[in-house]
Parts: sequence; structure tokens; C-alpha cells
Amino acid sequence: MTRPYPSLLVALLLALTPSLRAGAPPASAKGLVPKGSCAVCGMHVPKFPEWAAVVIFQDGGQAWFDGPKDLFTYLQDLKRYAPKRRAQDITTIQVKDYYTLKHIDARKAFFVLGSDVMGPMGKELVPFAGEPQARDFLKDHRGQKILPFQEITPATMKGLE
Amino acid sequence: MRPSLQRHRSVLDFALSSLLRRKGRNLALTAVYTLVVFVLASLVFFVQALKHEARELLEHAPDMVVQRMVAGRHDPMPASQVEAIREIRGVEEAEARIWGYYYDPVYGGNLTVMASQDPTLAPGSAWIGRGVARNMRVAEGDMVPLRGYDGLPILFTIQKVLAEDSELVAADLVVLAPTDVRALFNLPEGLATDLAVRAGNPRELATIASKIVEKFPDARPILKAEMLRTYEAAFDWRGGLMVVVLASAILSFIIFAWDKATGLSAEERKEIGILKSIGWESGDVLLLKFWEGAVVSLAAFLGGVLLAYGHVFFFSATLFEHALKGWSVLFPRFRLIPALDAYQITVLFFLTVLPYTAATLVPCWRAAMADPDSAMRS
Repeated sequence: MTRPYPSLLVALLLALTPSLRAGAPPASAKGLVPKGSCAVCGMHVPKFPEWAAVVIFQDGGQAWFDGPKDLFTYLQDLKRYAPKRRAQDITTIQVKDYYTLKHIDARKAFFVLGSDVMGPMGKELVPFAGEPQARDFLKDHRGQKILPFQEITPATMKGLE
Repeated sequence: MRPSLQRHRSVLDFALSSLLRRKGRNLALTAVYTLVVFVLASLVFFVQALKHEARELLEHAPDMVVQRMVAGRHDPMPASQVEAIREIRGVEEAEARIWGYYYDPVYGGNLTVMASQDPTLAPGSAWIGRGVARNMRVAEGDMVPLRGYDGLPILFTIQKVLAEDSELVAADLVVLAPTDVRALFNLPEGLATDLAVRAGNPRELATIASKIVEKFPDARPILKAEMLRTYEAAFDWRGGLMVVVLASAILSFIIFAWDKATGLSAEERKEIGILKSIGWESGDVLLLKFWEGAVVSLAAFLGGVLLAYGHVFFFSATLFEHALKGWSVLFPRFRLIPALDAYQITVLFFLTVLPYTAATLVPCWRAAMADPDSAMRS
């Protein structure tokens, strides 16, 4: 006898709905939702949304970080952290502006070193959308240096350990 | 069925029938036990629900409120300071707020009158909270007179009665157009009651607050976190007051339960002796006593928690709402939104069930260890 199982059907439907609702987050910068663990230190990224940074590759793959410091560690040693990726494949790098907590283009951002504001991993490179903001922050939080993205080298990272 | 499970089932069966044999004693014990759990659980649920409500309420509150202090008291402040505060790095939004308290002599209640910039709220009309509507016995479209600062009444048409979900807050709320609030309180143009500030990054609030004080030394910034702490402290304080009152009741229960649970009667001692002599092991006797204690305390715990849930969330904690909520005349008649916390339930469980079960086991263990012959003889 083929008897329908309404309760089973309902349970199945219920089980399916959340996955439908959540869907896949769009790849655009606006809809970026921190997820997964940090590609460098392994810490849970959604726990620190205000520091989250992300690298997006050509094929849509994302690598999340729990702070700009780990982002730079990753970028400076791509071979070690993502052996299958090449630097040329990176389309977007995003960090969060400290004052607005909005995603900004990391390549155009300014970073303040040596301030009294600590990130999830201790000393941080605090990102800003513009230089005036970075200067104000430097003054308020006893920062030492403002560096644009391009000037952050492995030597800079040494001072943050 | 697996043999170990079967053994538990048989022992449980025996425990239940042995509990039934001393019906009166065990029923009295369960009833008193339930009552204590009920009172404690009601208190925990109620304070928890109030805190939850306060947290919801403050969710939409601004990150920081800035007041002006004159001679140590809160005073209206120049609305122009908004511009200067908006320029501080890290401030996302700053807004001058106009509000005040209005005592209604006819209904004997205090109202909170607030200005809203909402363009749909025309001058001369008002939005009121459900509590206000209930107390004044008015509905949408009716006219309400409010006495101005000069004693002359000003008439307002009720445009909307605010939704119920936030009744604890909105119960005493009257929302008017800014010009109407100024007219009602004789607040000159250019002055505001306080300023609401929103920061892009909450981490910067302390820095923003210190910059505001630097710019305006007579300003007092109050952070949202401080408001939340104050609310929680107030509810905790009232909850604590109730605990002190209830302490005697709880203590007497502990003495009662201790007495009932630890003192093995001669009859029980004999029973244990017989059980051992017909082949029960000490472990079986302990298991039996454990199940007896577990049945009593679990029944009391479940009953007490369920009763408390009904009491707090369906009957709005009628038994002690006056001690816990406040003494405002315009009392919000609201139903608390169930806010249960697994942590609280666990704490309650460990505070009530565990000590009782432990207290029953120790004397039984001693009796079970004794020689069955001497136990039966005694």
C-alpha cells in the first residue's frame, strides 16, 4: 500500500527552507558577509565583523581574515597559505574602514600602525578610507605611522608581532 | 530491551510503588517543593524577561545621549551644538531631541511627550501609546487637551495609537510635532532637551565622548552601555529585594526537605534490610533511593517551572508585579514576551534538584552499607 507520509513531507520541507532562505551570498562587495575561519590563523571570522578583511579571486573564491594584519601576512606569502592561487588571480581586496565599519578597497586604504586600538590578534594595521581620517585616528589613539597599502612590507609586519 | 535498561525500569517501578505506599508524606513534600521551585522560577523568569525587554528597548536607543548640565542638573541645550558634534570624527549621526514629562492631573499619570520629525505627523495632531489611550479612554480621531505651561489647554487630534509590542516603553508616550512640544513646554526655538549621537564604530564612543566634553565642558555624555547597566542593576536590585523576602521561605523549605530526606525512618531502615536479605545489592538499593528522589524532585521541578512560566508570561506575574515593576500610576498592562534562557533553567535545576537528590542518597548509602540482619532487628 502506498500511503503518503504528510508529516515526513512537512519535516522535509522545513528542513529545506532555511537553505533556500539563506541562499548564496552575492559576490559583490556590498553583500559581503564575513564567514568561515581566518585563512592565516584559523580564528572564527564572523566573531570579529568589525575587523573582517577579504580577498576575492577571479573564480569567485573568497579568503577571509580576522584582521588586516593576517590579510597582509597572507598576501606576502601566498605560496604558503594558498599554494594553488596566484597573485594575478586576485580581483578585489576589501578591509573595513575603522570609523564607518564599511567595506573599502584595501588597495586605496591607509593603515595606521602602533595605535592603542587592538584587534583580535593584538597589534593591528587599522584601515581607513582616506588620509584625513587616518591622521585624526593617529592623533586620538597615539598611532605611530600612516602607510598606504603599497608601502606595507614584510619588514612592517615584523613590528606588529 | 537491554538488560541494564530493564533493570532500571524494574527499579523505577518499585520506586514508584514505594512512593505511593507513603502517599501523604510524599505528596506534601512534592507540593512544598513545587511551591519553592515555582517562586524561585517566577522570580528568575520575571527579572529575565524585564531585562530582555529593556535590552530590546535600548536596541533602538542612540549609542550616546548628550545632556547639558547647569548647576549639577540637566538643562536644555543649544541645538546648534549638533553641528559641532557631527564634525567629530567617528560620529555617524547626531540629532537634537525635544522631549519632556507631562503630568496629567485628571488621570494622575505621567506622560512622556516627545517630538518627532516624521513628516506624516502634522502640527496639532498626536500619536499616543496604548496606555495613554486606555487611561484617557480615547481612540484614533478623538481630541485630547493638554495643559500648556501657561495653564491654557491645547487641543490635539489623535492620529495614531502606537502598536502594543513595545508597551513597556510606549505605554506613556505622546508624540507631537516639534513646534507643538515647544509650545507646550515653553521651550524656546534653538534649544533642545538633549542630543542623540550614533557612532559608526561603537569602539570609538569613549573617544567621541571625551572630545564632546573637551568641546563643551558643561556637556554630560551618557553611553548606551551605561544605560543598559543601570536598567539591569535596577531590575537586579528589585529581584534581590524579593530574594531577601523569600529567603526565609526557602530556608524553611531546605530545613523541611533536609529533615524529610535525610532522616530515615525505622521502617525504611527495615525495608532496606529486607531488600538486602532477599538478594538486593547495595547498588540496587542506592539506585532505588536515587529514583525515588529523582521522581519527587523532577516532578516538583517540572511542575514548578511550568507553573512559573504560566504565572509570569500568561498572568504577567500578578503575585509580585507591584514589588518588581514600579509604582507609576499609568501602569502598562502588558504581557511579557517569553524570554527563556537555558542557562537560567540549568542553574535553577542545579539549585533545587541536585541538592535534594544528593541529600537523600547519603543516608541511604549508610543504611545500605549496614548489615541486613542488624538493620532488620533495629
